[in-house]
Amino acid sequence: MVSQLVRCPTCKTTISLLGEPGEKISITCPNCNQKGIFTVPGEKSQRTIASDSAAIEVNNLTKTYNSFTAVNNVSFRVQKGEIFGFLGPNGAGKTTTIKSMLDLIHANTGAISINGINVRTGGKEAKKSIGYMPEKVAFYDNLTALQNMMFYAELKHASKEECIRLIDEFGLGDAGKKRVGTFSKGMVQRLGMARAILGNPSILILDEPSGGLDPRGVVLIRDKILEMKKKGTTIFVSSHILSEIQEICDRVGIINKGVLVAQDTVEGLRKKLNLKPHITVTVDAISGKIENAVKKLPGIDSVKTIGNNTLEIICDGAMKAKVILAISTAGANIQNIQTKEPTLEEVFMKYTEA
Amino acid sequence: MQFNVFLSVAKKEILDNIRNKWVILVSLMFALLTLVVSYFGSIGSNGWQDLGNTISGMTQLGSFLISIVALMLGYATIIGEIERGSMSALLSLSATRFEITVGKFLGLGAVLCLTILIGYGVAGLVIAVNVSNVDYLAYLGFIGMTMVFGLVFLSVALFFSTVFSKRSTALGGAIFLWFLFNIILPIIFVGLLATTIDFTKITMETTLIVPDWYHVLNLFNPISVYSSLIGMTIGPVQSSTGSGFIPNPSWYSSGLLMGVLLAWIIVFFTLAVWRFQRKDV
Repeated sequence: MVSQLVRCPTCKTTISLLGEPGEKISITCPNCNQKGIFTVPGEKSQRTIASDSAAIEVNNLTKTYNSFTAVNNVSFRVQKGEIFGFLGPNGAGKTTTIKSMLDLIHANTGAISINGINVRTGGKEAKKSIGYMPEKVAFYDNLTALQNMMFYAELKHASKEECIRLIDEFGLGDAGKKRVGTFSKGMVQRLGMARAILGNPSILILDEPSGGLDPRGVVLIRDKILEMKKKGTTIFVSSHILSEIQEICDRVGIINKGVLVAQDTVEGLRKKLNLKPHITVTVDAISGKIENAVKKLPGIDSVKTIGNNTLEIICDGAMKAKVILAISTAGANIQNIQTKEPTLEEVFMKYTEA
Repeated sequence: MQFNVFLSVAKKEILDNIRNKWVILVSLMFALLTLVVSYFGSIGSNGWQDLGNTISGMTQLGSFLISIVALMLGYATIIGEIERGSMSALLSLSATRFEITVGKFLGLGAVLCLTILIGYGVAGLVIAVNVSNVDYLAYLGFIGMTMVFGLVFLSVALFFSTVFSKRSTALGGAIFLWFLFNIILPIIFVGLLATTIDFTKITMETTLIVPDWYHVLNLFNPISVYSSLIGMTIGPVQSSTGSGFIPNPSWYSSGLLMGVLLAWIIVFFTLAVWRFQRKDV
């Protein structure tokens, strides 16, 4: 891969491109929508080779619908064996990005490779390693769950035994011989997850896998994701359930209005935003004296009284000892102390508030 | 290109569509009406050569009902799956859009041919019981030609299912197509013919001389092509174009008419593949 900076001839905006030497890349300027083709300097190679450790590599992906830019110059890498959470508000471009990764929709510009294979030119080969669960899970209503699974198994070269086992594992054993048209939304969703992992794919792409599931179903899907990770599967998951993402993902990417605004570990994103932990101190009784003693400390961002015996303090983690000392000195009896790191929800809200 | 993808998709289409209540309903109606026509047409006949009107009636029924069955099978096969969400799962597998289109055409074509075989097969049995010296080869040819005719409409429907972005609009398109080929085009063509021929001067003894452009226009309506083809190849049926009373021109041949039907299938199938390759799912 060669990185190249190109300047838009119309508005002079600098655009960053990644491509194979000799590759012709169609570009749409994100600022003025000027279209053009750029040839990456150097000799052309036969295959797009991503770095050895990248299972998914997306470079400068842009997709527009008439004048609306759904995804704007998005680039990221998902390493082999990691769980990558892909977050964003409704309409931010998550599903468009995922569908582009699978070549279901044709991007205006950009290159996507799966296990080093360009999905545009080698889609058939690239998709052999993918298991996909779409946001809108659907099956053939006139066929039974087993008939549906058998159809996908034939195309994935998986066995009937595996279909039966997966149907059982997802709690659909009794319904295996019933038409999918009679299934509830949750049952369809579970069957969708079973279909995604059929054939033991090395990359799982899950678009809102927990949508429409009851708590038991959510746990089932989460456990299955973790089980697949243990087997070495790379997992790319988009979800609105941020607590779940925080719990299972190694790294996250946040997309907002078509632009990838952040990608890092949850901890890394917290640090970038300088988000501080919440220290909750429960005492026998709160007084103005105690509250003022904490407020007077340097480096305290905020102090909030909850009820008549709890203080919630936002400050640097290193301040915890000083906070405890100040409260004790002010005459309070400390009953409980809890430190909560900022949640992914707070990180998400910060990045998508604009 | 993988043969097993064609077969898997085709098998799935067969399983899915033989349980489609609308397809079952129209197919039953077709079989029943064909049975009625063949029964009443054959009980008083004096042999195979006496079955012209019966076969013509069955051809007429075929062009009306087979075109509906084919359009119903095909109009939503691509857009319906896209709208429902199952297409994205299918395309995420290592199956190309071309392979999926071929598989769908084969599967839906098999369901359509089975419908025709049952409908005309039952009618054939009735005819065999009631009529002496039946030309079985000619009757099998009639069934085969009807299958090709059905595949024309399936191919057109398949293309329509890649053009529209909603299942409901595709349904509207399919209904329009049926009216276009069964009613609108014949009216327009005969209307154009009426502007050049003074029908008031035609008597039983007059030989109707129809300009060639009219026959060329009829080649653009698969229903006219089908009825002309049956007329030219099936013994008892008189040669006539889709409008019924106008004789076929001397330059029409069964090879030409069959070629036109096959061209319809190939052109619209190719267009369907081309359009589907470019469609966002």
